[in-house]
Amino acid sequence: MLPPNPSEAALPFSDRSKFLFPVLFWVCFAAAFVGSWQLAQVQPGLLFEAEGRRNMAKFVTGMFPPELSPDFLRFLVVPLFETIQISVMGTVLAIAIGFPLGLLGTASLAYTGILNDLEIAGSRARRFARTLPYVLARSVLSVFRCIPEFVWAFMFVRAVGLGPFTGVLAIGVSYGGMLGKVYSEILENLETQPSEALQATGASRWKILVYGMLPQALPQLVSYTLYRWECAVRASAILGFIGAGGLGQQIELSMRMFNFHEVVTLVLILFLLVAAVDFLSARARKAVG
Amino acid sequence: MWSEGAAEPVYRLEGLTKVFNGTLTAVNGVDLQINRAEKVAVIGPSGAGKTTLFRLLNLTVRLTSGRLWIAGRDVSDLRGARLREVRRKIGSVYQQHNLVPRLRVVHNVLAGRLGAWSLPQAVRSLVRPRGEDVRAAYHALSQVGIPEKLWARTDELSGGQQQRVAIARVLLQNPEVILADEPVSSVDPTLAHGIVRLLVDLCSAFHKTLVMNLHSVDLALAFFPRVIGFRDGQVVFDRSPAEISDDLLTDLYAGRITGVSVEESPDAAAEPVRSCTPILRS
Repeated sequence: MLPPNPSEAALPFSDRSKFLFPVLFWVCFAAAFVGSWQLAQVQPGLLFEAEGRRNMAKFVTGMFPPELSPDFLRFLVVPLFETIQISVMGTVLAIAIGFPLGLLGTASLAYTGILNDLEIAGSRARRFARTLPYVLARSVLSVFRCIPEFVWAFMFVRAVGLGPFTGVLAIGVSYGGMLGKVYSEILENLETQPSEALQATGASRWKILVYGMLPQALPQLVSYTLYRWECAVRASAILGFIGAGGLGQQIELSMRMFNFHEVVTLVLILFLLVAAVDFLSARARKAVG
Repeated sequence: MWSEGAAEPVYRLEGLTKVFNGTLTAVNGVDLQINRAEKVAVIGPSGAGKTTLFRLLNLTVRLTSGRLWIAGRDVSDLRGARLREVRRKIGSVYQQHNLVPRLRVVHNVLAGRLGAWSLPQAVRSLVRPRGEDVRAAYHALSQVGIPEKLWARTDELSGGQQQRVAIARVLLQNPEVILADEPVSSVDPTLAHGIVRLLVDLCSAFHKTLVMNLHSVDLALAFFPRVIGFRDGQVVFDRSPAEISDDLLTDLYAGRITGVSVEESPDAAAEPVRSCTPILRS
């Protein structure tokens, strides 16, 4: 018997289903878009009504000229350093939380793969003892990072009062959750061959971690931590709005006083700060790579 | 355990079996005995289970059934510190050399001591290796012919040089047995010859046992007094090179010995691997 003509053979998708999927997709997309438009009360017209136009004009004209008097700038030195220090201390706290929890939450160290095959095979109790800390660490990390730093800040304001320390705690906890998760994923995705060879010399898991895994992962770990520090600089400015000090608090005050020319100066300083941090971390990444 | 039982075989395997995921049988009921200071080559087609056998012998993967004695000790159920103590006595050389690419050569060579070091010692050595360790690493690198690479970054070396670093690591580990899994598959034939000879000579000089998986039949026949043919997770033959005929090799790679018919690539079967590196036979 001759084989059927390949061009007539049944293909995984017939022409009809090829047509159906895109149509369904676009219908769903349109429905979601219209629904969101209404629910989010999108009214572009408001921006162009007389009232809106007047307020915008007031805001924009009020921005010029920016406030650059020496007194004002001198006054900003302290909030500027406060913002930097909140971001640095927040990131340090995040590392202190994220690194140990991230190690506990690394599956290839805890219970899977070549490093654990002989240790836990054939015993449910040993497997459970290895899995439990992993699950706990992963859960804690996910609670830490799923609550936004803003919400953490509101909680810590109750505990330690207004001030920079609230910002440090909020950034430390929520970023600790993010760092821990990403650290564990970086470690899990490393090549396993060097670890296998180190294990074959009779090394324990912790020695393999220190001697093989961390040196391999170092550029990625440093790079992601620096990226988080950049985010922390921006976050510490935002947290100032709810009383955590720093540049954000000044922006909020100036806004409330309708001193838009001060706001411009503050935003410019924030922009320069973030750009400087960006530059610094790029240099640091290059040095480690 | 190693000094007292000199009469004991280094390896004794009884019905050693490894099944992956409950379905894939990689090593299937192997009975084998390997004595102290013996040099054994294991040859066979890809997918024969040689690498799994290697990983069973260096205690990386757990056996599914059967028993395994190392120097007279049943190691089937070892774990923790006692498992690591046995692993320290077995040096491994891999196909992909398995070095830590971002570390300097000196650290990769000293990794042979990792099993013997404490964790703080390991950290301190990474920060700044001790003078006597550096001298030992230099000595090991001299034995494999690349002492000048001591402070080079490992990922900047060529494939052959990295394999030499891996051998220097085993020298520092100073094990009783050296296992090598296709150590020359990723280097060119002339280098391959040199690296196999290096391992064989080192084992002769220090009275170590050597078990090497090899892709090249020529190298196995040229350097090893005992050659094991391995196929479908089983030992097909186990004899000296003089007793190994071309027909036996053709059968090993074609699969006629175990009665498995060859469905794919009859060309490969007609031409045994022996002919790939004819120069080395002279």
